[in-house]
Amino acid sequence: MRFFVITRFLVVASFLLGMTSEGKVHAINMESTRFIIESANTSSAAGDKSSSGYKLSDTIGQLAAGQFSSSGYVVKAGFQYLHSVIPFRFSISDINIDLGSLLPNTPSTAYTVLTVAFGSAGQYQVTTIEESPLKTLSGNAIVDTSCNGGTETCTESTAKLWDSASAYGFGYNMAGNDIPADFTSSSHFRPFPDRLLAEAPAVIMSSSNVSTSRQATLTFKANISPIQPAGSYQTVVSFVATPSY
Amino acid sequence: MKLKNIIFAILLLTIPYSLATSHSFAQQVSLSISPPLLEVFIKPGKSIMVAYSLENSGDPTIIEAEVVSFEPKDNLGQISLKSTLEGPVRFYLDNADLQLNQSFFLKTGEKQQLLLRIRVPDGAPEGDYYYSLLAKTVPPPTLEGVASSRAKATIASNILITVTESGIVEVKPKIAIFEILSRFKLNLFGKVVKIFDSFDKVPLMLIVENKGNNLIKPEGKISLRGNFGETSTHEIIPKNILAQSQRLIEARLPSPAGEANGGQATPSASINDGNSSLIFNGFFVGLYNLSTNITFGENSPTIFASSSFFAFPFKLLFGFIIVVTLTIYVIKKFSRNDD
Repeated sequence: MRFFVITRFLVVASFLLGMTSEGKVHAINMESTRFIIESANTSSAAGDKSSSGYKLSDTIGQLAAGQFSSSGYVVKAGFQYLHSVIPFRFSISDINIDLGSLLPNTPSTAYTVLTVAFGSAGQYQVTTIEESPLKTLSGNAIVDTSCNGGTETCTESTAKLWDSASAYGFGYNMAGNDIPADFTSSSHFRPFPDRLLAEAPAVIMSSSNVSTSRQATLTFKANISPIQPAGSYQTVVSFVATPSY
Repeated sequence: MKLKNIIFAILLLTIPYSLATSHSFAQQVSLSISPPLLEVFIKPGKSIMVAYSLENSGDPTIIEAEVVSFEPKDNLGQISLKSTLEGPVRFYLDNADLQLNQSFFLKTGEKQQLLLRIRVPDGAPEGDYYYSLLAKTVPPPTLEGVASSRAKATIASNILITVTESGIVEVKPKIAIFEILSRFKLNLFGKVVKIFDSFDKVPLMLIVENKGNNLIKPEGKISLRGNFGETSTHEIIPKNILAQSQRLIEARLPSPAGEANGGQATPSASINDGNSSLIFNGFFVGLYNLSTNITFGENSPTIFASSSFFAFPFKLLFGFIIVVTLTIYVIKKFSRNDD
């Protein structure tokens, strides 16, 4: 044991003394008549691989499969590394989210639960976008929230604090698995991206990890000003669950 | 007596109504689709039919099937759907009673087979074309008199199509990043040395770039070798890297037998922790070398990269120095007091 400790110490010490000769982070370029092994951009050897000394031609043919030539196609279903076809499931606990009768300066909330089940297949994402702002048939709209405003101004991609009764609008909060990190509390909200404004859908659940059943709660919130016209305010919020490739 | 009769009559008339009032139940959507991924290698002029299974485990709903194009969004395998169908490939439903972009009703617990016909016209340019088969629910009717948001659910299954006349695909890989993610780096005479405490976790990032026009699948290993010859080898998960894109490569857990001083593969856990391919755990002392060898199937090029790090029990050493210093200080103080 003592010998082992001393040996380790000597190795470490000799390394420290000879650190300048350490060169194992170099990438290696190799080539033969059949193939070229290309250098990697490691931390100490990044850069263009071209050189006057050789021609880089790494386009190598690869047969798709044996049966391709006979049938003209090859089809593979499911994730090949899993050796089984796992269905991709997406659930929304409530698709009719009732915010009730809105009263001025009195925030109203309602929630729905999103669930993604994917066996052990792994990567997925759920995005959301509103088809239009919350609005009446006559066109009166509740604007998308900016949260508390000032330093607490939220955007479609950044949640901020929204707890002021005099901050008006429509937005959402997320809690649960695989949600964006900016939803740090139940008072942090974002506005929905608006399809009418050609905004990109926002990713609200995403995982690159293996997952069986992932669940997140999305809380809708609306708060109106005293001058908001009365009416039946409606919108459609679209949720899209996509697996990886 | 008369008043009693009136009250009784009112109750008799109102109670049944109150009992008969319909309750507002949450309307649930739960859809599953299989297979979630389809890879097709096909010659121009050929046509295939693939059976998809769409199941509704929620409330009865109206669904519409559609195919749109997608493109890779990031290097984590996520996609960005396009609003339209691009490319030469044509899609139809072979079901007698169903068509794409036309709604159909699906009861609770019902399964619907979607017979998707994929046709590549003659003369279609060789290359990769990426699509998603979408099953979209139709939003429920509006709630009158209240503010409400109606949700529309869409579930996708990805279709990767490689159109090739000969069956030969283009394999042009490159290791874009093979880097040990360390907090401390020492720049010595132009060489960067990654430094870890012996108890630290050692994260590794491996990103492979596909510069070709066809998707590729990496196969290979990531190996950790210590200064005493101890090794830990991890098999790369062969996930698709789409044409002209990059992907973070992950590795499987180490095989239990025969590996010493094992690193533990921990694929990234969430949207905010998706930047490491492997995280090595253990007690590291000295210089360690990490390397990877990746191939892309038969007759494909092999790419290689390596990097190294140095680990030392700094925290333990500092703790030891503090304890010794304090001990000497206390002993000296007590010895002075004794004098």
